[in-house]
Amino acid sequence: MLPEIGHFALILSLMVAVLQVLLPSVGMWRGSLVLIQLTKPLAWMQFFWIAVSFALLMNAFLLDDFSVKYVASNSNTNLPDMFKVSAVWGAHEGSLLLWALILSAWTLAVSVFSKRLPSEVLNHVLIMLGLISIGFLLFLLLTSNPFERLDIVPTQGRELNPLLQDFGLIIHPPMLYMGYVGMAIPFAFVLSSLIRGQLDSTWLRWSRPWALVAWAFLTFGIVLGSWWAYYELGWGGWWFWDPVENASFMPWLVATTLVHSLSVSEKRGAFKHWTVLLAISGFSLSLLGTFLVRSGILTSIHSFASDPARGLFILIFLMIVVGGSLALYIWRANLMHSSNQFSPLSRESGLLINNVLLVAATLSVFLGTLYPLFLDSLNLGKISVGAPYFDAVFIPIMVIAVLVMAIGGFLRWKKDQATRLVDATMHTAFVAITVALITYLLVDNVAVVLAVFLFVWVLLHSLLLLAQRVIKKSKMSGAFLGMVLAHIGIAVFLLGATITTQYGVEKDIKMTPNETVEIKDYAFTFRGVESLIGANYAGHRGTLEVVHQGNKIATLRPEKRQYTTGMPMTEAAIDPSFYRDIYVALGEDLSNGAWSLRLYYKPFVRWIWLGGILITLGALLAAFDKRYRLRIKR
Amino acid sequence: MSLYLWFALMLAVSVLWLVWFLYRPLQTNNLNLEKSNIALGKQKQAELEQDLQSDLIDKQIFEQAKDEIAQTLSVEITQTNRVINNNQQNTTIGLAVLIAVFFCVISVLMYQALSSHSIIAHTHKSLTLEESIAKIKRRVTEQPDDKKAWRMLGLAWFKAGENKHSLAAYERAYQLDKKNVGLLVEYASTLAITQGYQFTGRVSDLVREALEIDANSPDALHLAGWIAVNAQQFDLAQKLWQKTLSVLPSGSIEKAQLQRRLAELSQIQTSVNALTTDEVKQKYQVKVEITLSERLRQAQYQNHYLMVYVKATQGRSMPIAIQKMKLKDFEGVVILTDEHSTMPSKTLSQSSKVLAVARLSQSGAAMRQADDIEVVSQPIDIKDNPTIKLKL
Repeated sequence: MLPEIGHFALILSLMVAVLQVLLPSVGMWRGSLVLIQLTKPLAWMQFFWIAVSFALLMNAFLLDDFSVKYVASNSNTNLPDMFKVSAVWGAHEGSLLLWALILSAWTLAVSVFSKRLPSEVLNHVLIMLGLISIGFLLFLLLTSNPFERLDIVPTQGRELNPLLQDFGLIIHPPMLYMGYVGMAIPFAFVLSSLIRGQLDSTWLRWSRPWALVAWAFLTFGIVLGSWWAYYELGWGGWWFWDPVENASFMPWLVATTLVHSLSVSEKRGAFKHWTVLLAISGFSLSLLGTFLVRSGILTSIHSFASDPARGLFILIFLMIVVGGSLALYIWRANLMHSSNQFSPLSRESGLLINNVLLVAATLSVFLGTLYPLFLDSLNLGKISVGAPYFDAVFIPIMVIAVLVMAIGGFLRWKKDQATRLVDATMHTAFVAITVALITYLLVDNVAVVLAVFLFVWVLLHSLLLLAQRVIKKSKMSGAFLGMVLAHIGIAVFLLGATITTQYGVEKDIKMTPNETVEIKDYAFTFRGVESLIGANYAGHRGTLEVVHQGNKIATLRPEKRQYTTGMPMTEAAIDPSFYRDIYVALGEDLSNGAWSLRLYYKPFVRWIWLGGILITLGALLAAFDKRYRLRIKR
Repeated sequence: MSLYLWFALMLAVSVLWLVWFLYRPLQTNNLNLEKSNIALGKQKQAELEQDLQSDLIDKQIFEQAKDEIAQTLSVEITQTNRVINNNQQNTTIGLAVLIAVFFCVISVLMYQALSSHSIIAHTHKSLTLEESIAKIKRRVTEQPDDKKAWRMLGLAWFKAGENKHSLAAYERAYQLDKKNVGLLVEYASTLAITQGYQFTGRVSDLVREALEIDANSPDALHLAGWIAVNAQQFDLAQKLWQKTLSVLPSGSIEKAQLQRRLAELSQIQTSVNALTTDEVKQKYQVKVEITLSERLRQAQYQNHYLMVYVKATQGRSMPIAIQKMKLKDFEGVVILTDEHSTMPSKTLSQSSKVLAVARLSQSGAAMRQADDIEVVSQPIDIKDNPTIKLKL
């Protein structure tokens, strides 16, 4: 009975979303404040019913209710409770329900935390969010009902994909979805402003903190995904330019551009065209990502669904969202004109260059991701676009963007002088070039020299900005500190990614018990393999001792699991540290006690995720800036 | 409490919530757009002064920027639309009733339309297998041409261990729907199991019919593989399961299971062949003969890494099988076998069309570096046990 209640709760939430759009719209038309003021209570009720529905689906998993098709397909009695919880969003239907829950949670947050936003604006924004919610709830109910019953109840369920039975999966999708769905908030702000014909300071100021929080979640979600892929897939890689990874990376790039564009629009009233288009593109790319993953067009670990009907639904939804919002943009283009001038050398120009470069980077990823699909769909042949393309196209654009980023903070608003800028950054540039030259003499690797230069370049400029404020005793806002932290995060990421790629050592070898192999001064001694039995798998666990400069530094125990469903899995063993990871994955039994093993030495690999976390913290710091707590006289 | 009551309660809670806020509407925050924009304009001016202190704007430009803020504000104020009259209006009972009725009726109708069964069907607890059988029997008595019900009855009888009844029900479903691939496969597998995993006679006829309708049906191909195994035609079974693998979605559990089964089949084949011939038949291999140019034979390249691998002609560029060595250890020929496969789930022997690659790298990194030297062969078929000649 509980699944039926969950299903009905989902229907009620759809009906509430319909009322959330319908009643306040009628109220605005008829001038009825009673109906207009229903937006908030309806948004709260929508969240409540979706939460009930989600809780009941989770309950079905925890109680092993295999009469529910979705539970029977993705869980069994042997699955540990922790993974039964994460199995709720481990496949298509549940992850869509999570999406709807997060959208309603964002809507609830906007309705509660927008006390300084005039009610008339807030009501419009909530109507827009209700409209988006209708789209997703219809998608869920018409094509992806998670509460569908089986006529004959199996005594045992199937298995959650073993790749997904991991702590990383418990938090990676919700965080990523928080980012994806969070892009709906600036989008709703833009749509409401376009419809009202008021592209003013209120919209710009109050949509920025939401854009920053969404960006922070998106960053953290991508970082978690990269970390999870690193330790769970057993290849030791952290980014594969997989189309599904790209699907989350494109909204991130656009969100990065949006938060920068918003800063100019809200302070100087410029770039409104950019800001509107970026808000529309950010959410559209989030929807496109969903379309690519859910339609089954992409085949990867992320593609749980191979149902063209679902893909078609999202495609139509995407066309309505993109087409409708672009039509509104064209209709209101005349309101976005700004007479505020700025010279070619100014803070505005710096941010404009940053915008152009980031958009170009997004387009390069977009092309590399969609072009092969486009060719394939027209039967013009199959091509594979991989790392060489992205390395050749994306990285040069980002190198220029990082160069500009570092000095952007020194530029003055509206007009600046080249001599002043040179004076301000001359010493730091000299130090960065000197360090790069010394590095060149030491390592003779152009990529590393460039990365070290950019790292020092960004770090010194960021610290110099900080020092200048301290010396002048100027006010240090959360937005300023957030910017410094996020820029340092970019530098840290860049250095980690380059060094681990250039100096990482990978060895795929056969080892017999007590055999020792040396990699980069680390001696790996293979001590053999023992049997292993888990809750829903059996397998083998190897033991390797790692010695560095005569000292035993770690005993690593990689596992090779065979899940009851027959799916083999590699559980890598990692000895982490700030400057390097030692990574071991167990391969195949090669008979007579010998095993194939993958041994990796990964210098600075943790810096990749450390950089991501710094960006996340920077975004959150900026989002909670004091100026967003402005008191307005009523 | 029955499902009916639960639904009624849920509707009542929703309607009460709605009606409450219709009669006691939330107050607006008394902020209008004009006040908001004025306050923000002042805040922007204060920030501009801070920017001046922080040397983020030139003193001469400061006044101009200040004027622009004022101009922007004046434009925003003129843009401000008609504000809704803040007079509270009373809600009529008629409106509240209309909304409540609309909400309840549409919700229930939608549930009826979306749920495969009526509300009444779910007001009782979940049915046991016996109850399900009794219910489906009633259904086929009332509607003897309901092919879906006959198929469900066949499955239910089979679950209950009543094989004879199960086959009879399946036969009836088959007579009503001979073109349903899913039914044909289900019927064939039930028949095979009930006759002690014998895949001969009617079983193979049904599978053949299924494949005639859909040659790419993974279930039919899989079962056809079992028929071949049963007939000791291991090569045929392998081909059929390879084809099944090609149509199954990547990363699916079924695919992983089938890959394991294929590996077992390879072992069986090896043992059978070992018993029948003195010569142990090898799995597939690729022999790569590499000729080095004069330049690469010089001492400076001897510590470079040579990576010889095969990769799929399409899709990911990850190696299927690889050997990596220092150039000084290279002896002219590299033989890639299943032992060098990078993933147990995709061995060399399980592959078909591939490209052979030889790459000389100073760093030995997995990803191709700018200064790496690489040569790639034309597409080759693993099943030919090919020998490839590459020149670096």
